[in-house]
Parts: sequence; structure tokens; C-alpha cells
Amino acid sequence: MGEVELSCRAYVKMYLHACLFPRCSVNGLLLSSSSSAGGAVCVTDCVPLLHSHLSLAPITQLALTQVDVWCSQTQQRIVGYYQANACTSDSSPTPCALKIADKIAEQFDGAVLLMLDGSKMSPDYRVPPIVMYERKDSRWTLKDKHTIMLRQWEEIRDVASQMLDSGDHSLLVDFDSHLDDITRDWTNQKLNSKIAELCSPVNGNI
Amino acid sequence: MASVSELYDVGWEEMRDKLRKWREDNSRNSEQIVDVGEELISDHASKLGDDVWIIYEQVMIAALDCSRDDLALTCLQELRKQFPDSHRVKRLTGMRLEALERYDEANKHYDAILEDDPTNTAARKRKISILKAQGKNGEAIRELNEYLEHIALWHSHDLAIPAFCLEELMMTNPHNHLYCEQYAEVKYTQGGLENLELSRKYFSQALRLNNRNMRALFGLYMSASHIAASPKVSAKVKKDNIKYAAWAANQINRAYKLAGRGTKENKCSMKAVEEMLDSMQITMS
Repeated sequence: MGEVELSCRAYVKMYLHACLFPRCSVNGLLLSSSSSAGGAVCVTDCVPLLHSHLSLAPITQLALTQVDVWCSQTQQRIVGYYQANACTSDSSPTPCALKIADKIAEQFDGAVLLMLDGSKMSPDYRVPPIVMYERKDSRWTLKDKHTIMLRQWEEIRDVASQMLDSGDHSLLVDFDSHLDDITRDWTNQKLNSKIAELCSPVNGNI
Repeated sequence: MASVSELYDVGWEEMRDKLRKWREDNSRNSEQIVDVGEELISDHASKLGDDVWIIYEQVMIAALDCSRDDLALTCLQELRKQFPDSHRVKRLTGMRLEALERYDEANKHYDAILEDDPTNTAARKRKISILKAQGKNGEAIRELNEYLEHIALWHSHDLAIPAFCLEELMMTNPHNHLYCEQYAEVKYTQGGLENLELSRKYFSQALRLNNRNMRALFGLYMSASHIAASPKVSAKVKKDNIKYAAWAANQINRAYKLAGRGTKENKCSMKAVEEMLDSMQITMS
């Protein structure tokens, strides 16, 4: 299918989410603020969702509904799903990942399923530690690596490491944490600003 | 001998409420339950409404604990008359047989339940406790393992195992709102009207134990909304669940308004919640 581009903000937040809960499986939603032009999808943001009981329905349903509402208020849409498994040697999508991705694909044709590969997440890794799937003939199949774009990967990778080193990942709020304390903001405006400061000399479109 | 109501100067309503509290707290004060329950049933059964059945069950189990087989049998017979095909009542029949050490007959009852409903964890647990009572620990362990494997064979992600574990945890930690809430989530995920109703009850219980548990609050809202929207429920059940959902929505709104007063940080999430609650209200009516 088409090209998928990951923005600095989307990648960094996913990365920090996985780093914040190293012993848990984590997941989240991928968002886009632009309409797909020529079949290309630009993932401009992500919303980290859970770090516990990923396969239980109520909170997932709740989160999907709330993110949906927020998207319609902010001219964004849900275009994909990401997950990082607790077991770093296994980056295959779980049944619950497939279910959620299916739901997203119902609403958006070019939906993507992204798995973070824990075994490749060291700071100086040469290629992005991600495995992406797209929907072909009702099945999730591996996407051709050449259709996945991360502009200026090395700089983005460095921004992520830098933020991890300075402890900025503790600023990240996922939906689970929001339910523990509802004064915390799962849209992560504060973190977004920090990322923007570090990324803007690097990336034309955040 | 003086009656409970004379001794403690209480009316039947207080006796009924005491029994309810002991149920909710999962207290095993069987002698008290037998004293209060026996009197309540013999003198005030007609006033108890639908509560009478759960009271029969509670008193029956307590009676077994106190070797009061006469009382246990009375309660069991009432339940059998009212719910002739119920697995839950079959399990109680089995428990009485266990108390009388008629283990083979008890096992037959549990096997009958399992033939009809292989996912019935209560029956499996009783079978395992029979083995323990007979001192057959090795076999008990084997049965448990077999059960777990069996589950793994049908569905790779069956929630029966977490349900089983959470049931045990709730029994030994009845005040822990987290276990209650998680159990409710498992039931909700398993789906179907009966499980949804159970999930709603456990979300409510979690809230009783901790009224600031947001997951339980949202869970109550969602389960009650789904039950109300189901075509299979009676008008009364629909009405009740709309009430529960409305109460929960109100509490959620209040919580978010309170949270929003401090910082402007979570304005986005507050607006999202408001709109979500609005839109769900519309689909329900």
C-alpha cells in the first residue's frame, strides 16, 4: 500500500512510553493531523494508552472513545496502533493488538499496526526498532521497509536518547496513569512542547 | 430462649441489613449468621422480597459450617423449589453432601454441572477441595494443573484463568477494591448479558470500597449503559440501569470538574469526557 511517515513527536513518545514501563507491555494509538494525500499516511502524534491488562476491554473501549472525541475536536484522526511487548525477544502482535488494529482499520483504510522491537532499542541502533504491518486481504502483513519513512532518523534517535537520559520520560502520561490521577494530561501537551524544542531544528514537519 | 430481636432489640430490617453487610464483607461468622438468619427466615420471610433467596443461600452455607444440617436442608429445599435447574443450587447441594462426607455423591453433582458448563470454575474448585479434604493433595494439584491446561487448549486467551485467580484473591482480600475492579473488567471482557450484569455489580462493589476509583466509575457507567441498551432486558432492568449509568455519569463529571480547577493541564481530557458522556446518553435513549 502507501507510504507511512513517522514524525519525531510520534516516535519519541512511543519510545519514551516503552522506556517508562520496561517490565510491562505498553500500547497506544497513532494519530494523523493531515488527510492522506496520494495514499501516504503521516503519523504526526500518538496517544500512549495502557501499561497493564492490555487485553481487558473496558478501559481500552473507554480510551478509544475518548481519543476519538478528542481527535474530532482537534482535527486529527486515529490511523494506527502501537504496542511494545514486555518480553523484548518477542515483537509479534498479540491477539488483542490485532483486534484493536482491526477496529481502527474499520474506520480508516490505510491503518497501520506498529510493534516496537525491544531487542533493538539501544541508543545507538542504526535502524528504527519498529516492525510495521498493514492490512492486505483482511490480514495483517509485514510492510515493505522501504515504504516506512523517518526523516533524519539519527537526529530523532538522539532526541529520544537525550530525553531518556534527562529523565523526561517520567513526564509522559498514558491513559492508565490518567485514571490513577485525573489531573494528569494524557494528551501530553507539556511533553509535546519539550519535544518540539529539541526536534524543530531537525524536522520540518513535527 | 430469647429471640435475637428481643435480645438485641432490633427489628427485621436491621437483621436483614446485618446479613447483607456480612455478605459484602465475606465474613465467616457462621454462628451469628445462623442465629440471625434462622429467625429472619422463620418469622419474616414474606417481607424480604427477592432478597430471601440470597439469604437462604447465605444461611444454608453458614448452617453447614455449624453442623446444622436441619436448617441447611430447609434452606436448600426452598432454593431447589424456586430454582430447579440452577447450577448455583446444584453446587449448594454438592456442598451439603461434602459436609456430610458423602464425597462420591457430591462429585457426581459437580460432574453434572461441568458436563453442562465446562467453564464453571465454582464446581471445579469444589472438586479440588474434596480432594484436599480427603488428604489427596497430590491429586488435587494434578486436577488443578489439568484444569489450567484444559483452558489453554480451547482458547489461547481465555479469561477463565484470571477470573479464577481473582475469585480466590477477592475471597481472601474482601476489602481490596482493586481486585473487585479487575474482576469486573474480566467479566465485562468475557461478555454476554449475565457477565455484564456481574461486572456492573463488581464495579459497584469496588466503588463502595473506594469511591474514588475512576476505573470502577467508568466501568459502572459503561456496563450499566450496555445493559440498558440490550434488547433482552425487561423494562424494569432497563430503567434501573439507566439510573445507575446516570449516577455514574454525574460522579464522573463532578470528578473532572474538581480536577480541572487546579491546572489548565487537563482541559483536553475534561472536554473529551464531557462529550463522550453526552454522546452516549443520546444513543441510550
